[in-house]
Amino acid sequence: MSQECNDEWELSKENVQPLRQGRVMATLQEALAQQETSTHTAVQLKKQEFELEIRFYSGDDPLDVWDRYIKWTEQTFPQGGKESNLPALLERAVKALNEQQRYYKDPRYLNLWLKFGDCCNEPLDLYSYLHSQEIGTTLALLYITWAEVLEARGSFKKADLIFQEGLQRKAEPLDKLQSYHRQFQTRVSRQTLLGLEETPDENDTGLLGAMEPQRSSLADLKGRGKKKVRAPISRVGDARKTTNQNRSFQTLTSQQLSNNPGFAVFDENSSSGPEIPVLTPQPWTAPPAPRAKENELSAGPWNSGRRPRSSANSGIEVPCPLPSFTPYVEESAQQQVMTPCKIEPSVNHVLSARKPEKEEDPLQRVQNHQQDTQEKKEVVMYCKDKIYAGVEEFSLEEIRAEIYRKKAKKKAEEEMQAIAQQKEEIQRKIEELEMKLKKKKDDKQQQPCEQPTEITEASPPLGLQGFTFSSATEVGEKQLQLGNVFLDSEDEQKEQRNEASLGKKGTNSEAYSKKSNCSADHTQKSSRRPLAVRKPSDSVTAKENMLPDACDELNGIEPLTEDAIVTGSYKNKTLCANPEDTCDFVRAAHLASTPFHGVVAQRVPAPAFSQCDLKEDCPEPKSAPLNEETPVCEGAYSEALCVNKLSPIMEASLEDTRSSGSSVSSGSSLSSVTQISTIKYLHIPEKLELARSLPAEMAHDSGGDAVTQFLWSAEQRKKLLDPMPESLTAAPDFHLEAGALPVMELEKDVELGNETYCIKWEYWANDEYKMCFAIPAHFPQLDAKGFAIKVYSQPVPWDFYITLQLQERLNTDFDQSFSENCSCYLYQDGCAILHRDINRFTLGDVIRGCKSITEEVILLVVYNLLGVVEKLHKAEIVHGDLSPEVFFLGNRICDPFANDEMTRALKIVDFSHSLDLRLQARVSLSNSFPISQTPHGQQLLAKSSLPYQVDLVGIADIVHLMLFGDHVQVYQENSIWKISQNVSKTVDSDFWGKLFGRILNADGKSTVSLLRELREEISDMFDSRFQERLCESLAALGESFLLENFL
Amino acid sequence: MAKQLGRDQQGITLRGSADIVAEFFSYGINSILYQRGIYPPETFTRVQKYGLTLLVTTDSELKNYLNNVVEQMKEWMYKCIVQRLVVVISSIENNEVLERWQFDIECDKTAKDESAPREKSQKAIQDEIRSVIRQITATVTFLPLLETACAFDLLIYTDKDLAVPEKWEESGPQFIANSEEVRLRSFTTTIHKVNSMVAYK
Repeated sequence: MSQECNDEWELSKENVQPLRQGRVMATLQEALAQQETSTHTAVQLKKQEFELEIRFYSGDDPLDVWDRYIKWTEQTFPQGGKESNLPALLERAVKALNEQQRYYKDPRYLNLWLKFGDCCNEPLDLYSYLHSQEIGTTLALLYITWAEVLEARGSFKKADLIFQEGLQRKAEPLDKLQSYHRQFQTRVSRQTLLGLEETPDENDTGLLGAMEPQRSSLADLKGRGKKKVRAPISRVGDARKTTNQNRSFQTLTSQQLSNNPGFAVFDENSSSGPEIPVLTPQPWTAPPAPRAKENELSAGPWNSGRRPRSSANSGIEVPCPLPSFTPYVEESAQQQVMTPCKIEPSVNHVLSARKPEKEEDPLQRVQNHQQDTQEKKEVVMYCKDKIYAGVEEFSLEEIRAEIYRKKAKKKAEEEMQAIAQQKEEIQRKIEELEMKLKKKKDDKQQQPCEQPTEITEASPPLGLQGFTFSSATEVGEKQLQLGNVFLDSEDEQKEQRNEASLGKKGTNSEAYSKKSNCSADHTQKSSRRPLAVRKPSDSVTAKENMLPDACDELNGIEPLTEDAIVTGSYKNKTLCANPEDTCDFVRAAHLASTPFHGVVAQRVPAPAFSQCDLKEDCPEPKSAPLNEETPVCEGAYSEALCVNKLSPIMEASLEDTRSSGSSVSSGSSLSSVTQISTIKYLHIPEKLELARSLPAEMAHDSGGDAVTQFLWSAEQRKKLLDPMPESLTAAPDFHLEAGALPVMELEKDVELGNETYCIKWEYWANDEYKMCFAIPAHFPQLDAKGFAIKVYSQPVPWDFYITLQLQERLNTDFDQSFSENCSCYLYQDGCAILHRDINRFTLGDVIRGCKSITEEVILLVVYNLLGVVEKLHKAEIVHGDLSPEVFFLGNRICDPFANDEMTRALKIVDFSHSLDLRLQARVSLSNSFPISQTPHGQQLLAKSSLPYQVDLVGIADIVHLMLFGDHVQVYQENSIWKISQNVSKTVDSDFWGKLFGRILNADGKSTVSLLRELREEISDMFDSRFQERLCESLAALGESFLLENFL
Repeated sequence: MAKQLGRDQQGITLRGSADIVAEFFSYGINSILYQRGIYPPETFTRVQKYGLTLLVTTDSELKNYLNNVVEQMKEWMYKCIVQRLVVVISSIENNEVLERWQFDIECDKTAKDESAPREKSQKAIQDEIRSVIRQITATVTFLPLLETACAFDLLIYTDKDLAVPEKWEESGPQFIANSEEVRLRSFTTTIHKVNSMVAYK
């Protein structure tokens, strides 16, 4: 066996490139054997594997893949060459990892570069480039390789300098570098010695490797001179230096000696002169232009054109006649790939030599690439990085297939895991039961018949249907289960959508029928989530704002095109370029110049929706005190409509029905009535189907807490504010800023608009919101007044929108209680709202800071509090998160001299959890507000509560906090809510008792009138004596609290 | 076959075989030393042998050393008590063995008693030797580059009963752990058969 195998590598030894680290014989044999049989399949597969890994590598060491890939390539393609594509591979690897600074000290990365250097025309340039980029400058290998190349070219001094540099930098491993340096020095000194022995008289050049003068090839050898006839010596190499210092022969020599073989046998003759070594990293310009080579005729004119004839160096000018002999070429000089073609001119035309110089230097390419990426003007709209990540180009289909495979694999794994888990569980249960059974057996005899039933009860978790709703009667349990089901159904839905989209418009009806095939329970469950998302949008008083809402909901379904796959993260939302995509299609419809909206209004003036509303009990759609059933029904109904929306055409009709709410009042033309009826007719079956599922839906309406989060989600709001209402964008204080949201940090300066502010205080912050107090940076005196900056990590100017709406809806009633002077800065990734003229302290500070607040101040605050909320509710806005912290102190409290009716005690600027009920009328989920998570909130806000009640609870809590210093605690007595604290301890106990009684038991009544009545009661207490005492109290408060805290 | 050949080569005797093999070792070791860059290339000179251009050292000390070893080998081969010659190439710095060239010698001990020469033409033997040396040259295709300065050592495996001569000492086998081994061609003089192998990291 060995004999045969041996032949193989020996026979093709010329085709095997030596490797620094050697070759594995087995691989070599295999590779060579494969070459003969030309069965590359295995190699191709492996290559493909690597290519895939590069594209879909998810670990944190991408270099590893490249490293393995390159090593494998080296071993597998012993002959190198085009097939291995190694230079391209190295180039790609180097490019791909270029931005990863962390690899700059990695020996593997340096190795890639050095290998790449071997492919370059001029490795020296590459080394200095590496040096300038600080790549591998801490590694000895760089200096060793660099010096080796220099040494091979005879630049001993330079090489030594490189070693010195490495030693100075303490490149690792230092001992290796030192030993190499030592060896280098011994070599050099030996050279010098030899050189001294041979030509002792040539010392004057001061060279390390002094040598005989060399003649330029093909130069004229005719003797010259008068006294002593000597053949002219056109000096090449270091001897040239003495006569020709000003010429830039540096490039010439390096050019001559480029294309070094991997390991060069040192040749003293090839050493060039001691150029002044320059180690300073130079900016890399262009590779040296190809110059004339020896044995080429063109050298003559090149010289004569530039140099005066009187020059001492007479030899160069001589034109080169054809030599009558075959020139002896030093081995070291024979490094060009080009064959000297002067010998047989007749053959010259038939086989012309390849000109390697024409190719662009790969190093230059890499650098160009780097520059390009730095500039980066274009945004690629497909996943270019994936397609071109490796050496081979991948088709989108391949990428898609891989993603699909991965997904499938993951899913399968998950399933397996789940099954295994369930198995275990069941096993455990069975064991438990058996244990029980045994026990019982001991006691009784009749038990055996019970066993089978119990086991069947334990097994259902395998299927989705296992979650029966009948068992979920307790609230806690219900919530938990709902959560589970919710997740499941979501997956289920996605799956179905996937299937549908994979099957190329696999017909929505199919997807739908699948859903309905499941148990009745399941149908409702799976439709649960979208329901929550859409609910707020299904307003009775629908506006045109809803158009984008509806169309953006399409994002929920998987687009028909592989948007996610092809474009990756470069999703282009502004341009609706893809007509295949349903979502884009609908978006495009809005963008298109055709009067889309107008058409809609004409076509469907009286939508099925509002009619439905009217039919069912909904007496006051404007103030929207809808009872429980209606919104749910609506939601479910809309859900039904939304399920069928894979086809763009269907989409459009849906669009119509939804957006036409506003046109109800505008009156309808006759022709359009028929259209409505058809639409209505179309929807009837679905409606019927859903009607069946309604009861279950209702039962769980109030349970889901995961569901209702969407109320505050940025997406939801984005939809509501998309396109931005003109009132918003046109507002003078609305600024659209390019770039990213500036970072707000304590004691840091931040620039908003043209002003710079210094953040002094942070009121509260969570993942999405942050409220800060700032003062102008150029005016660093800390004042009680300054700016409140509200930062929202989503580019949705919700607070600003609410503020504007308040301004618009309240008209003259919009006063100091709200932020009268605010600016909104909308960034690409967030939004900042700047409120001017804000007192630094909040009501929360007062409550925390003062042990007891005087009755007068409390009354004043409550009076203002009631007023503010009343106004909010009048404007059909629910604040949603009333707490002492959101109320900034108004001038009435902070400014002791402002004793005016116009000044207010409180100012509210934050509307993070606010709802605009004109926009989101469908909301009945009052338990999703932050306050409803508190103990009292949970008790007070029953499932049927209206959103307005949330604010009442908030008021109750604030008042309670001020009066008693702790949160409100409630209990129910004869179906009347009462607070646990004894109100009679307080001064105005009658009033407080009444206030709590009314606020806590407000259900269903108009909050505006309730608040007004309460406020009027307080104002009745405001007499002159009260005012006096109030002044005193405020002054005391100002002294004890404000000043103290301030300093 | 041998009879039809030239007058001066009638066949292979034991002594002749030992001479041939010893000569092979001399050139082989020289080749290795040159190929692997153990000694500077300029200290080698070209000679024509086996129809090849081979490089032999001009360093007198090295020459002497090699001659000594080869002479010793010759003697032992004549006695058929040598089993193996190993050229160990190790790093000077840490004495780590990097390469190990192993030449197994199979002696046909019956030849000691025979008086008649074996029939094999010298040309055939030379051809075989040539291919071995060619392979040694060709090993650069897969051998790793010796990055550090290296020294070489010669180990000779003999029969156990042999008394260690002066200037020789007992040594360990100096194996390379986890080495890659590649068998090279072998040649035979019909009396001595030499199997070559190289082991590297």
